[in-house]
Amino acid sequence: MNPELLHTLKELLPQIQGYIYPNEIEIHWGLLIVVYPYITGIVAGAFILASLVKVFNVKEVQPLYRLSLLTALAYLLVAPVALVAHLGHPERFYEILLTPNTSSAMAMFGFVYAWYLMAVLLLEIWFVHRTDLIEWAEHETGAMRFIHRALALFSRDTGERAVAFDHKALKVITIVGIPSAFLLHGYVGFIFGSIKANPWWSSVLIPIVFLFSAIVSGVALVILLYMVITPLTGGKINMRCVDKAIDFLFYAVIVDFSLELVDFIHRVYQSEEEILILSEMVMSKLFASLLIIQVLLGMLLPLALISVTKIFKKRFHLSEDLRKMVYFISVILIQFGIFATRWNVVIGGQMFSKSFRGLTTYKVEFGGIEGLLFAILLLALPIVILAVLMKILPPWKEMREEGAAETVEVAGS
Amino acid sequence: MGKLFEKFPDPLARLIVVFLALVAAGAFVFFVLIPKPVKDLKVQWDNAIRQESARPVKYAGFHACAECHDKLYETKKKGYHRDLSCETCHGAAKAHTEDPDTVKPVIPAERAFCPQCHAYNPSRPRGFPQINPVAHNPLKPCASCHNPHDPKPPTTPKECAACHGEIARTKAVSHHVQLECTTCHVTPQRHKVSPRAVKPTKPQDREFCGKCHGKDASAKLSANAPKIDLAEHGEKYVCWQCHYPHSPEVEQ
Repeated sequence: MNPELLHTLKELLPQIQGYIYPNEIEIHWGLLIVVYPYITGIVAGAFILASLVKVFNVKEVQPLYRLSLLTALAYLLVAPVALVAHLGHPERFYEILLTPNTSSAMAMFGFVYAWYLMAVLLLEIWFVHRTDLIEWAEHETGAMRFIHRALALFSRDTGERAVAFDHKALKVITIVGIPSAFLLHGYVGFIFGSIKANPWWSSVLIPIVFLFSAIVSGVALVILLYMVITPLTGGKINMRCVDKAIDFLFYAVIVDFSLELVDFIHRVYQSEEEILILSEMVMSKLFASLLIIQVLLGMLLPLALISVTKIFKKRFHLSEDLRKMVYFISVILIQFGIFATRWNVVIGGQMFSKSFRGLTTYKVEFGGIEGLLFAILLLALPIVILAVLMKILPPWKEMREEGAAETVEVAGS
Repeated sequence: MGKLFEKFPDPLARLIVVFLALVAAGAFVFFVLIPKPVKDLKVQWDNAIRQESARPVKYAGFHACAECHDKLYETKKKGYHRDLSCETCHGAAKAHTEDPDTVKPVIPAERAFCPQCHAYNPSRPRGFPQINPVAHNPLKPCASCHNPHDPKPPTTPKECAACHGEIARTKAVSHHVQLECTTCHVTPQRHKVSPRAVKPTKPQDREFCGKCHGKDASAKLSANAPKIDLAEHGEKYVCWQCHYPHSPEVEQ
C-alpha cells in the first residue's frame, strides 16, 4: 500500500465518528470541486447583472455593465481549469474532446460551457466593444493597434446599418444569454441534485438554490470589484449605481435564503431515515461552515447590515462613506458565505456514511494539485485575467463618465 | 466574398466568416490531422486493456503460496485469519515465487503492524478483536503470544471484558456496575472459543427489566433500583428503545 496514503488515512481515522464503510474515509471531491461551482456561480451571476442593463433597462447600473461582462469572461475561462486539474491525469483531458460521451451528465458540462462561452459571452462582448475597438485602433500605434483591429475582425464599419445591427444582436444575445446563464449554473446544481443515492444532494431544489446563490455571488463580486477598482484607478464610486446594485443583491439574498429555508423545512418535515445523521453532521462537522459562516455571517449579517442602511438612509442621512463601508463589508461577507455554501454542499455530501451511522472527516492538503495553494491560485487567476482583459478592453469610460455625471446630480439634489 | 458583405451588415458578415473558418479548422483538425485510432473508442479500450495488462504482475495469489507452504496454509485456513490473503501481511510475493532463495517476502514483526486492524476503533464491528496498543502488553511483539496464522488469545478469556472492552468500560461507570454480564446474558461456555458460532442471549421483553425495575420487583439486587409501573410506563416500547442498558440514565 502507498505509505503516504496510509499515513494520511491514519491521521483521519481518529476523527471518524460512529460507523462508516472503509471506502468512505477519504473524500474524493475535494477543494477543487468546491472552487468549481463557486467560480461558475460568479460567471452566471455577473452575466445576470449585465443583463439587467440590456434587457431590463436598469440604467443606474450601466457603469457595472462592461465590468460584469469581463468578470464573467475572466471567471469562465478559469472554471474548467478546476475540473481538469481534478482529473487523475489532467494531461489526458483532450481525450474527452476527441471521444465525446453524449450520454454522460458530467460530460454535458463541455457542451454547456462551449455554448455559453462561444454563443453568448464572447459574442456579447464582441458586439459591445466592436465600435470602440475601431475607434481605439484609429488613435493607437504598434501592437495595441493591431490587437484592437484584429479583435474587431478588421472591421471599420461604424455606419448606421452596422451599429443598428450591433444593438439588435446585443438584445437577442442577452435574451438568449439569460436562460444560458441559468443553464450553466443550473447544470452545476443538476449534477449534484440528480445523485439520488446521496440524500444531502438529491433534491429538485438544488439547481434553483444554486442559481440564486450564483446570482448573489456574481452580483456581490462585481460590486466588490467596482468598489475596489474605481478608487484604485483614480475614479469616483457612483453611489446611485452601487445603491441600485445592492438593492438587487439584497432581494437575491432574500430569495436565496428563503429557498434554502424551504429546503431545510422540507427535509426536517419529511424526516426521512437520513435526518438523524444529517442533523448530527450539521451540528458537528459543518457547524462552523454552515451555521456560522454560511447562514449567520454570509446571509443574516449582510441582510441586517443592508437593511440598516435602507431603513436609516432617509431618516438619518447616513453618510455616503459609512454606506460604502457597510456595502463593502456586506459583499465581502457574502463572498465568504457563498464559498462556504459550495463547501457545505460538496464536502458535506461526502462526510456522512451511506450507512447513515457515522461521519468521516476532510483534511485539506496544503501543496499538490488538490491542495489549498493551488485552490488559492485558481481563485486569484481570474483577477489576473480580468486585469489583462481590462487592459485590452478598457471599461473605464463607462465606469467613470456615468459615475461623474451621476455624482454631480446626486450632490445637486 | 464581396457579395456577402453587401448582403449582410458588416459585423454579421465578419462573424459568419470567422464561424466558417472555425468550423473548417475544427473539421480539418478532427478529420485530417488526428489519426483514426485516437478517435475510435474501441481502439482506445483495446489500448487501455493492453496497457493495463502489460503492467508487471506483483502479486502471486494464495494458491502459489500454498504450493510450498502447505502446512502454514492449512493452519491459516482453519483460523480466524482464513479470509486474509497471505500477501495482505507478507506483501507482494510474485518475485519470491520466481526466485525463492534470494527474494524473501516481508515478515511484519514490529508491533505497529497488527494494530492497523486490531487497534480499538469505534467504526469496527462489535466483537472484532480490538486492543489498546499502548496498554496491551507494552513492547512485547504480537507474535510472542499470538500465532498470526492461527490467531487466538493465548488463554481462553475469563472475563467478558477481554473482547467486549468498550461495553465493560461503559458499564463500569454506570448504575449497572454491580450487575454481572451474565445477569442479563445467558452465555454458553462455547461462546468463549467460538464467539460467532455460539452467541449469548439478549433480554427479549419488558418483563425482564421489570424483574428489578417493576413496581413489585422482588429480585435480590432490586432494593435500590428505580421503580416504574410496567403497565403505564413507556407505552408499547421495549425498555432499550429509550434506555441504554449498559449505561442507563437516572432521572433526578
